[in-house]
Amino acid sequence: MSVTGTLRTVRGRALGATDAGRPLEPGRSHANWVHQRDRRGAWFVVPFVIAFILFTLVPVGYSIYTSLYNTRLIGGTVFSGFQNYTATFQAGDFWSGFIRVIIFGAIQIPIMLAIAFFFATMFDLGIAKWGGAFRTIFFIPFAVPAVVASVMWSFLLEPQFGPFTHFASVLGFQGTNFLGTNLIFPTLILIVIWEWTGYNMVILFTALKAVPREVIEAAVLDGASLAKVVLRVKLPLVRPAIVVLVFLNAIGALQLFTEPLILQAYAPQSISNNWTPTLYLYNTAIGGQQYNLAAAGAVIFGLVIVVLSLVSLISRRRRGEFA
Amino acid sequence: MSVINPGVSAPSTTKAAERARRREERQREAEQTIRIFGIRRRTVAIVTALCVLFALFTLVPIAWMLINSTKNQANIFESFGFWFSRPFVLVHNFKMLFENVDGDGTYIQWLGNTALYAGLGGIGATALSALGGYGFAHFKFRGSKLAFSLVLAALLVPIAAITLPLYFVYAKVGLINNIWGMILPSMVSPVGVLLMRVYVRGSVPRELIDAARLDGASESRIFFRLAVPLMVPGLTTVLLLSVVGIWNNYFLPLVIFSKNSLYPLTEGLGLWASHASTSGDQNIYPLLVIGGVVTIIPSIALFLILQRYWRGGALLGSFAN
Repeated sequence: MSVTGTLRTVRGRALGATDAGRPLEPGRSHANWVHQRDRRGAWFVVPFVIAFILFTLVPVGYSIYTSLYNTRLIGGTVFSGFQNYTATFQAGDFWSGFIRVIIFGAIQIPIMLAIAFFFATMFDLGIAKWGGAFRTIFFIPFAVPAVVASVMWSFLLEPQFGPFTHFASVLGFQGTNFLGTNLIFPTLILIVIWEWTGYNMVILFTALKAVPREVIEAAVLDGASLAKVVLRVKLPLVRPAIVVLVFLNAIGALQLFTEPLILQAYAPQSISNNWTPTLYLYNTAIGGQQYNLAAAGAVIFGLVIVVLSLVSLISRRRRGEFA
Repeated sequence: MSVINPGVSAPSTTKAAERARRREERQREAEQTIRIFGIRRRTVAIVTALCVLFALFTLVPIAWMLINSTKNQANIFESFGFWFSRPFVLVHNFKMLFENVDGDGTYIQWLGNTALYAGLGGIGATALSALGGYGFAHFKFRGSKLAFSLVLAALLVPIAAITLPLYFVYAKVGLINNIWGMILPSMVSPVGVLLMRVYVRGSVPRELIDAARLDGASESRIFFRLAVPLMVPGLTTVLLLSVVGIWNNYFLPLVIFSKNSLYPLTEGLGLWASHASTSGDQNIYPLLVIGGVVTIIPSIALFLILQRYWRGGALLGSFAN
C-alpha cells in the first residue's frame, strides 16, 4: 500500500461512501461537500500510516527478504530460497518452545480469566465490600515492569533464602525448589497470573458495567436467581470482551520472554536458551548472530500471531463489532 | 461499535459532583442487588475475605520489596523477610543508585533514559493516535478501509514480534545504539488509534463537527479547538497506556542497545539480575531491591493519581464506557 494510493480520491464516489447509519440528503452539492471534507480527513491518518509503514511494514518486509538469504564467511550473501525455513522447521528447538508456551497459555489463561471474572462480577454486583479499593489494588501489578516482577518473585521463591521457600518448609514441604525443573512451569504461571489478573479484571468489570441495568431488572422480575443472572445474562453479554481477552492473553503467552529470561539467571538448569519461541529467536539472532536463520524464525513466529489475530478479528466481525 | 459512551449526553455541573453522584448511585445499586437476590451477610463476608486474600497475594511481593530495600545484603538473605532489621540502610542503598556498581552502569542514568524514552514515545504515540483515531472515526476516503484494516491487523501483533525485524533493519541502516531506534517505533500504537476512534465516535458528535464546518471553521481548527478538548479523557488513557508500555518494554532495548549508557531501567535491572549470582559486589542484591522499588513507585503513583481516567475511560478498544 502506498501513501499516495491512500490519499487519492475518485470523484463521484461519495454517494457510495455515505456514513454508516446516516442517510444522505439528496442533492449533488451535499454529496460533493461530504466527499471533499472526507478527502481532507485523510491527512489526519497520514502521520500514523507513515510511522506504521516505516516501523512495522518495512521491518517485516526486510525480515522476509533476509530470511531468504544466507550469509557465509566466504562468498558473502547468497540467495538460499526456503533453506532457512526448512532448517527452522526441522529444528526441534523452535517447536519445543512453541508447544511449551501453548501448554502454558492453555493452563494459565483459563485460571486467570476465571479469577478475573469472579472478582469483576462481585465488584459489579457490589457483593464485595470496598470494591473500589480492591479494584485499585488488584490493578497495581500492571504498573510493575515484568523485569521487576520477575526479579521480585525470584527473590521470594529463591531455593535457599526465599521467604516462600521457607513458608513451604514450615507447611511441611521441605526442600521445595520453586525454580527447579519440576516447578518452574507453575512458578511462571503464578508470576504471570500475578501480573495480569488485575488488568483482565478491570476490562471485564468495565464490560459488565456496560450491561444495561434494565436487562438485569427484567431478569430479576422473571424470577432469575443470582447465579442465573450472572451466568445466563451477564456472561453472554460480556462474551465479546472475554473473547478479546482470550486472544490478547494467548498472544501474550506466545511471546513469553522477560520472565523466563530473568529467572534463567537464578535457574539456568530449568530454563534453556530455547525455552520459549522468543527466547530461541533472541538467542539465535543476538547470541548466535545467525541473522538469516533468526529472520526465518521471526517470520514464522509473526505468521502464527497474525493468523491468531485474524481468527480473533473474524470472530469479532461476525459478532458485529467494527461494522 | 457496539457500545456508545453514555456519559456525553448529560453535561454535569462539576466533575466532582458528578463523581459523587455516580458513587452514590453505584452504592444504591449494590444495596439493591444484595436485597433483591437475598444475599446473606455471610456471603458478603466470604467474598470480601476472598478479595482480601487476593489483595494479599498482590501486595505481599511489593511489601517485601519495600521492607527489604532498607536492609543490607546479609539481612536480605538471613533476617525475616516481612519485617525490618538492623542496620536500617535505606539511605545508604538509595545513595548507591547514583554510583556505577560493578561497572555495569548507573541506575540514575537508566532512570533518565527511561523517562526520556517513555516521555517522547508516549507523547508521540498519543499524538499519532489522536490524529489517526479522529481521522478514522469521522472520515471516509479512498484507502481508509484498507488502512483501518491494517490497524486492526496490527492490533494484536505485539511489539515483541516486530522487535527482531526492527533489529535487522537497524543493523542495516545504523540505528543500533540510537535512542530514536527506541522512541520512534514506540510511537506506533494501533491500540491507541482504535481506542481513540471508539472514543471520538462516542464523545465528539458528528453534528457538532458539521455545525462548525457550516460556520466556516477549517478542519485543523475543528480538530484542535473542538475535538481535542472533548478527547482529553481518552487521550489520557492512551498516554498512560503507552507510557507504561514503553516504561515496561524490555525486549526492544535489550536487542537494540549494547551500550550501558543508553539502557532504560528494565534493561539495567535485568543486567544486574543476570550478574547478581556471579557478582563480587556485596551490595548487588540490595541494589536490585532498591532499584526495583524506585522503578515501580513512579508508575504506581501515576496510576493512583490518574486512575479516574482509566477507570472511567476506555481501557481497551471496544469496551468504552
